[in-house]
Parts: sequence; C-alpha cells; structure tokens
Amino acid sequence: MKNIVIGQFVPGSGFFYKLDPRTKIVSIVFLMVALFLLENITQLLIAFSVSVVLLIIGRLSIIRIIKGLKPIFILLIFTFLFQILFNQEGTLLVNQSMSLSYSSIASIVAITVLWRYLAHFKRFNFLLLLAWIAGIYLILSYFHYGPTFAPFSFKVYEKGVEMSIFVVIRLLIIITLSTVLTITTKPTDLTQGLEKLLRPMKVIGMNSEDFALIISISLRYIPTILDEANKIMLAQASRGADFSEGKLKDKVKQVISLLVPMFIIAFKRSEDLADAMESRNFIPGKPRTRIYELKFNFSDLMTSLFTAACFALSIVLKVI
Amino acid sequence: MGIHFREVSHEYASYQVGDYQAINKITLSIEDENEFICLVGHTGSGKSTLAQHMNALIFPTEGEVEINGKIITKKRDKKTNYNLLRKHVGLVFQFPEYQLFEETVEKDIMFGPLNFKISFEEAKAKAVEAIHLVGLNESYLKRNPFNLSGGEKKRVSIAGILAMDPDILVLDEPTSGLDPFGKRQLMELFKNIQKETKKTIVIITHDMDLVYEFANRVIVLNDGDLVYDGNEEDLFKKEELTKWALGLPETIKVLRRLKDQFHLDINPYQKTVDQAYEELKKVMTK
Repeated sequence: MKNIVIGQFVPGSGFFYKLDPRTKIVSIVFLMVALFLLENITQLLIAFSVSVVLLIIGRLSIIRIIKGLKPIFILLIFTFLFQILFNQEGTLLVNQSMSLSYSSIASIVAITVLWRYLAHFKRFNFLLLLAWIAGIYLILSYFHYGPTFAPFSFKVYEKGVEMSIFVVIRLLIIITLSTVLTITTKPTDLTQGLEKLLRPMKVIGMNSEDFALIISISLRYIPTILDEANKIMLAQASRGADFSEGKLKDKVKQVISLLVPMFIIAFKRSEDLADAMESRNFIPGKPRTRIYELKFNFSDLMTSLFTAACFALSIVLKVI
Repeated sequence: MGIHFREVSHEYASYQVGDYQAINKITLSIEDENEFICLVGHTGSGKSTLAQHMNALIFPTEGEVEINGKIITKKRDKKTNYNLLRKHVGLVFQFPEYQLFEETVEKDIMFGPLNFKISFEEAKAKAVEAIHLVGLNESYLKRNPFNLSGGEKKRVSIAGILAMDPDILVLDEPTSGLDPFGKRQLMELFKNIQKETKKTIVIITHDMDLVYEFANRVIVLNDGDLVYDGNEEDLFKKEELTKWALGLPETIKVLRRLKDQFHLDINPYQKTVDQAYEELKKVMTK
C-alpha cells in the first residue's frame, strides 16, 4: 500500500512547489480542456513533449511518475485494445482470417501455462505478456490441424491504430498533469485552494469551507486508519484468524473480526477529534483565519500566462 | 523447544523517511517453560517489533527465528502453517480495542480456540477456564465486551489469548493505562498464571518497579540492539542504565538516597516497599 504514488504528496522543492495551489488547480483544468480540443496526433505529440519539458523544469523525477503510472497500466492497455479492435474507420490495414480448432485451443492452453510459469521469475513480465499475445495471434491464424470451426476475421483499420495511440497518449498526459498536482501540493494546501475556488458556490447554498474541512479531515485520517487496520489484522492473526486461507464461512467471520474493531475505533477517533476541535473553539460555519495566507506571485503569473497561451493556441487550432 | 532468535534484523521500508532498522542482529533464546521475562527499553527501541517476530506475525529481513522447531526466514514458505505457530505463542496487543469484536465476552474468548479447530464444547470449557485465570467470574461471559471498563477489557483480551492454551504468552504493554493498583493486580495475576500453568510469560513494560519485583529475567533493548539479557538483580547495579534511558525502581532510589545522605549501612536492593521498610527498621534499630 505504501507504493501508491497517485494522489500522494512527496516533499521536495522546485518550481511547482512554490506555486499557489489555486493557480495549479485552475491551470490543470484549463490545460486538460485544451488537451481535449486537440485533434491530430502531431499536436498531441507536441503537447506530450511540452509536458515532459514541464516535468524537467519542475525537477520532478520522471521515474517516480512512471512508477505512479503502474496501477493504471491495465487501463491503458484496455483502452488501446478496445480502440484497435472496435474502431472500423479508414483503410483496412490487416485482415487476417482466424478460426478455432482443437489443436489451436490446446496450444493456447499450453502457452498460457508456460507464460504463467515464466511469470514466477518476475523479470521481463511485460515482455512475456507481449510474447503471449503474439503467440495467441499466430496460433489463431496459422496453427490448425484437423477440423476448424467458428471462423472469424481479425481486422485492423488505419483509423483504429491512430485513435488507439491518440487516446493512450492523451490519457498519459492527463495522468502526468494530475500527478504533478498531487505530488507537489500538500493536501492541506490543495483543500485550501479548493475552498477559495469554490467560494462563489455559496450563492447556490454550498458552503465551501465545510466542504474543504470534510476533504482535509478525510485525507488526514487515511494513513491513520490504514495503520489501525494493519494493527487489528495482526491482533486477529495472533488469534488464528489467517486472512489468506480458510473456507468462505471462516473468511466471513474473519472479515467481521476486522471490521467491527475498525468501525469502533473510527467512531471513537471521530468523537475525540470533534471534542478536540470544540475545545479549541472551532465553530462550524463561522469564518476562520489561516496562519499561511495564499499569495499570488510572479511564478503564478507566468504559469497563468503559459496556460492561457496553451488554451488559446488549442482553440485557434480547433477553429482553423 | 521455545523461541530462538539468530542474528535477527528487521527493517521497515518507508516511503518518506527511508528505510528504518527497527531491530539489529538480535540473538536470544526463550524456553517454553517457567520463565518470567520482562522486555524493556525506551520508546522506539524495537520491543514491539521483537514481540511480533515471536509468533511469526512479521518476518525478519535478515537472520532466522526458530519457533517450536519451525525456522522462519525472510522468505514465506508455502508449506509452513504459520497459523499453528500462533497457537504455540500467544501475543496480546496493547489495546484490547484491536481484538474485541463479538457481542458477548464468551464468544469473543472462543474466537481464538475455534480458529484452531477445537470443538465448540471444548472451546466453551476453555472460555470458562480462561475467564477464571484472568480473575473475573463467570457472570462476565454473557456481558457485552464493549460495556466493560478498561481494565476488564484488558483482562478479557488476555483471556482470549489464554483460551488458545499457548505455551508462551507474550504481552505488549499490558499495564499501560492502568492505575498503580491495577498494574500490580495484573502483574500478580500473570505470576499466578505462570505458577499454575508453567507457561513462559514475556511482558513488555516501562515500569521498573514491576520489573524489579516480578521478573526473573530481563531483556533490554536500546535502539534496536540487545544490550542486556540476564536477571533483574544485576540489571539495576549496571552503570549504563541512564544510557539506555531506563530509570531505577523507587525502592532503590529512596534507599540509595538515604544511604548517601545519612551514610547508613544499608542494602538498597530491596524489591518491595515492605522489604525496604524491614531493611530500614533493621538498620535504624541498630
């Protein structure tokens, strides 16, 4: 659980750390809108290189951000596959007739077993996956002995390839941008920025201060609750509740043995927190002051100008 | 068979602070009969980490732990049933809130034994036996564990482990949060349990008075290193006590002060207040 990078603040210094959170939030929203206005792959590749340059300017470790991409890697692969399989516009690039046969089913099972076996060695995991996909492709197209059935054709269109690359790069940029925001902004700053930005919503009856308070308290308690859950799990494990094995009936009981103390501790903690806040004279709904007021400075101005330029450029490109 | 640590180290991986060595090359043996061990050390010295190694809740990052003949190393072995080791060594956590979850005390105590495939009737008998061992009566069995006082919750959580009938009982700061009277009561209880059942008991504590009075072996950790392993008499004669951030028991403190102030011919190493009083009276009448 400690390796999740998305949504986690990493202490450091650099250009993006000094920015006002409001600037960061607004800029990222505008940059994303601009991104969706882009239409062809060249423009998108330029946008991609610009975001890499931004990472370098901000002196953020690119390796760290790539590591953060890991959890959404599967999502990327799926979008890629869906686009390539179901988009049927443009000229036909590949038209491969395929069919199933007993020999091909058997060999698919065989290479799947081989793939899972080799995956135990952990290294080259991704290469193995690619090899497995290529293997299935080859088997389905050429490897037939005996009767074949369920014939179908595997078609790839020009537009499909283009769109799949397009969508994947766009997703990559979006995730990189939002990771930059969360990596360089403290949760408290982030909520303060949101609070200030959402202030106009008061007109329709939404109190942005309460909203910001809710967010900051939940963020604050995620690590605490995780820690508690871990301790409860250890305590129940020493009473023989092994969460990895056992029948379903035992498992339900074991999960209950984890959940009940979790809820009790969470309620107790929230009560304590409410008491602590009240004893320091916190009154819900009353305006509060901050120790550190947000300031709009030169680098914020530069960032805003940059964002405005990008946004204008993408609109111009769209119109032309 | 007992527990044997051989050069055990444990390192916590931390994303923001970097890796943190909690215990460092610890070698020690704990027999599973008739020991009363106190594990002491300042906050953050690795006591709890060491305790969690004793029933294979966490695995050493270096070295090996032998529990009841089973060797535990860095690698998780699929053939070993780690769950059975936890029946052999029972670990009671500091806060009873972490383990109480059932609607009655009886069911909660039975949770452990039932996990180890003991029949329902047998588990019920164990629960009765365990509740007596911790000094509560049978009327508690039908009560809701969440309506008990702090001290009673603690006893119930200890009963929950005792009902599993472990050979070695490890308690992580059982006396924290209790008043001096409750602490003493609980320690006397452990002493009685040890006398009756001949189990080995390992207690993590900060209270030097209790250590001096009850322990017959003390293990001292300092910044992850094992710095002392021996009897309680010699420990408090050591010069390094302050370096390890340990205090002296009140009896020794007071008697030493009297000895220095009035140049009395007194033996300050008295375990209880009564003994200290007797010693003083002897010297004064002389």
